[in-house]
Amino acid sequence: MKLFQNSCDFEYPWEQVTAANWKKYPNAISTHVIAVDVLRRELIDDGNKLVSERLITIKQGVPRWIMMMVGGSNVSHVREVSTVDLNTKTLTLKSCNLTYSNILRVFETVKYSPHPEDPVNRTLFEQEAQITAYAAITKICNKMEEWSVQRFHDNAMKGKKGFESVLEVVSEHWRQREHYVDDLGNSLVNKVEDLKATAEDMMQGTEKTSSYIFSRNYNIFKAAFKQGET
Amino acid sequence: MGNVMSASFAPECTELKKQYDNCFNEWYSEKFLKGKSIENECSKQWNAYTTCVDANLIKQGIKPALDEARQEAPFERGGAQSPQDS
Repeated sequence: MKLFQNSCDFEYPWEQVTAANWKKYPNAISTHVIAVDVLRRELIDDGNKLVSERLITIKQGVPRWIMMMVGGSNVSHVREVSTVDLNTKTLTLKSCNLTYSNILRVFETVKYSPHPEDPVNRTLFEQEAQITAYAAITKICNKMEEWSVQRFHDNAMKGKKGFESVLEVVSEHWRQREHYVDDLGNSLVNKVEDLKATAEDMMQGTEKTSSYIFSRNYNIFKAAFKQGET
Repeated sequence: MGNVMSASFAPECTELKKQYDNCFNEWYSEKFLKGKSIENECSKQWNAYTTCVDANLIKQGIKPALDEARQEAPFERGGAQSPQDS
């Protein structure tokens, strides 16, 4: 676990800072925050404490290999619970990431309070973050390898199934039409060339589903053999 | 103030959120901060907005992770981690 600490001053009264906190986003600097939602909000202690739960939605450039590992979205969410306390004049925000939390956990605490040296006009900002990475580097590597192998396997299966469905159609028609083969002429040769190209395409473009490939090639065959018949 | 309001994570809730935010921000500055309110106002806008949000939390699959976080760092504790975790 790593600890991060930071503090700074704002040249505005505490009340104003807390009001601005609800309007913090969007702003020109933090463009990665794309949405802020309030999930729960309660007024307690005779109207002196306001507790809010918010969902902060972030979109940022995550390294591609991380995205692959965690499921492929660059949108992530943070949950924040904040308390405005009029008695102690503090605004405390506690937040934690909801996304990627099995790999990395960031607990952040932010506190705004009237500045001790100038409580009326200035606000003190204090920030602390507890960062815990759960995955050792070898674990990440294993995960990446596992993922890659699985993905490769899945894609390979798709490619094989797709090609097999095509081969089935070919051999079926081939048996039936063997005696026509010689008469098929140039048009079929062209279609076969098409098929070869498609088959190669299929071996490479592994994302295509077998049914898609099947229907796509089935039409080519149908067309080819229709031409052969006439 | 002419401030641009932030969007909702669910586009269909953004308009409802804006209506709620407008009401809330007014209440916050004019009543809460001045210690004039013992009631969380804007309930009409709030109900419409959170109904939309709750449905989309489920739809977008955010709910499970949220529930887990809620258990770990309850609202009632001001979002502080439960003692058994540390």
